[in-house]
Amino acid sequence: MRLVLCTVYVFMGALLFALPNMTRREILFAVPVPPDFREGREGRRAIRMFRLVMVAVVVAAAGALLLSPDGLLNTTAAAMPIAILLAGGIAFRWQNRTLAAAAVQFTRPRDAEMTAEPENLPWFAWLGAGPFVILAAAATWLYLHWDRIPARFPVHVDARGQANRWAERTTKGVYGPLFFGAEICAWFLAMALAGWFGSRRSRSRSVMLGGMIAVEYLVGLLNALISVQSLFGIPVWAIALSPMVILVPLIIVMTNKMGEPWEPMDPTPNECWKGDIFYYNPNDAALFVEKRDGLGYTLNFANHGSWMLLLALALVIASAPFAIA
Amino acid sequence: MAQIPRIRFDPASGIPAVRQIVDNLRVLLVEGQLVPGTTLPSVRRVAIELGVHFNTVAGAYRQLAAEGWLDLKHGRGAVVVPRIVPAVANGAWNADFRNRLRGVVAQLRAEGVPTASIADELRAMAKVVTRS
Repeated sequence: MRLVLCTVYVFMGALLFALPNMTRREILFAVPVPPDFREGREGRRAIRMFRLVMVAVVVAAAGALLLSPDGLLNTTAAAMPIAILLAGGIAFRWQNRTLAAAAVQFTRPRDAEMTAEPENLPWFAWLGAGPFVILAAAATWLYLHWDRIPARFPVHVDARGQANRWAERTTKGVYGPLFFGAEICAWFLAMALAGWFGSRRSRSRSVMLGGMIAVEYLVGLLNALISVQSLFGIPVWAIALSPMVILVPLIIVMTNKMGEPWEPMDPTPNECWKGDIFYYNPNDAALFVEKRDGLGYTLNFANHGSWMLLLALALVIASAPFAIA
Repeated sequence: MAQIPRIRFDPASGIPAVRQIVDNLRVLLVEGQLVPGTTLPSVRRVAIELGVHFNTVAGAYRQLAAEGWLDLKHGRGAVVVPRIVPAVANGAWNADFRNRLRGVVAQLRAEGVPTASIADELRAMAKVVTRS
């Protein structure tokens, strides 16, 4: 189990390591810069410093986990991902401040087509229904094989891979993870559709929609695996590492697609980026805009719709204790 | 396939957004790129595309409706309507037009646009106006 957790930490570290390459060429550590800036001395130095910090922190986290005594393993396992994310955030912010003086303001006119034709979703939007089918199929399977489900089965393991929480063969115990998975999938689907209809027309918008649907599949598959685990005896390590099967190709595809020079960067005003991460522009009707600190899109927090989406997420999270045994 | 008419908003121009939208739409209406019966896109969609507030686009639509170009009926959106061109007293427009044109030409020259290019553009525009 220690090796599985180490793999997860290394994966997290690799994602953060690759973060400078996950933005458009005109953005580096959330700072808008000239396209060739990252090849210059200052740009290369900032990337190198950020990556050095990430490598050091991930090596330290993996070492701490491998050398941790059994009694402290659970605490170490919980603390290390937080340490990696915190270090990543601090290193990112450090480089962001260092490059602030090099920031430029994108200025580009925007066009609007004067047509009232309805906006059609791309064909692959229908795939958003897939995760619900997967969850329903898992529920049907469990229903049909109800007698084979153990009267008490593990639903949570500690850092050593030993079960530390169990559920009973009740409606809530068996179908709970599926119901909760459906809630999260519905939220992701709502985000995907809100992102499509609430952002400016661009090819990046299709990439964002596809990415959200892929994440929906990840949630659906993970919850389906967890729910049928008691029947098939799926190893914990397989469940823990399964998200990577979708995440790795998704990140590679999205990085390549978003990096293609289809169209210039959306010229959102610099002063509307709070901490260069949160977009707050009451004069922009868009609900979603292109991110500056990584792949994809982010919310315009001045739009009331963004708070509705966050409220919906809070309700989904708050429902977890009621949905899951 | 006919090209879809477009309007443009340049946040760096210093010209208020409402005016830019009204001016752009008026060009499309006068040139016949938007003909009577055409339904304009929703205020929401145009505002998102141009990165401006909903009220800015709504204000532009209202101004054009006041000028007689659009009919704004609730639930139907903004529809282009036939407009009767008002009669203008001879020569009354001339001084104002010349003044505005001189202002635009002066601005372009100050920005470094070659005078020959400006003259070519004005000639081309004169041909379009004469044809319509």
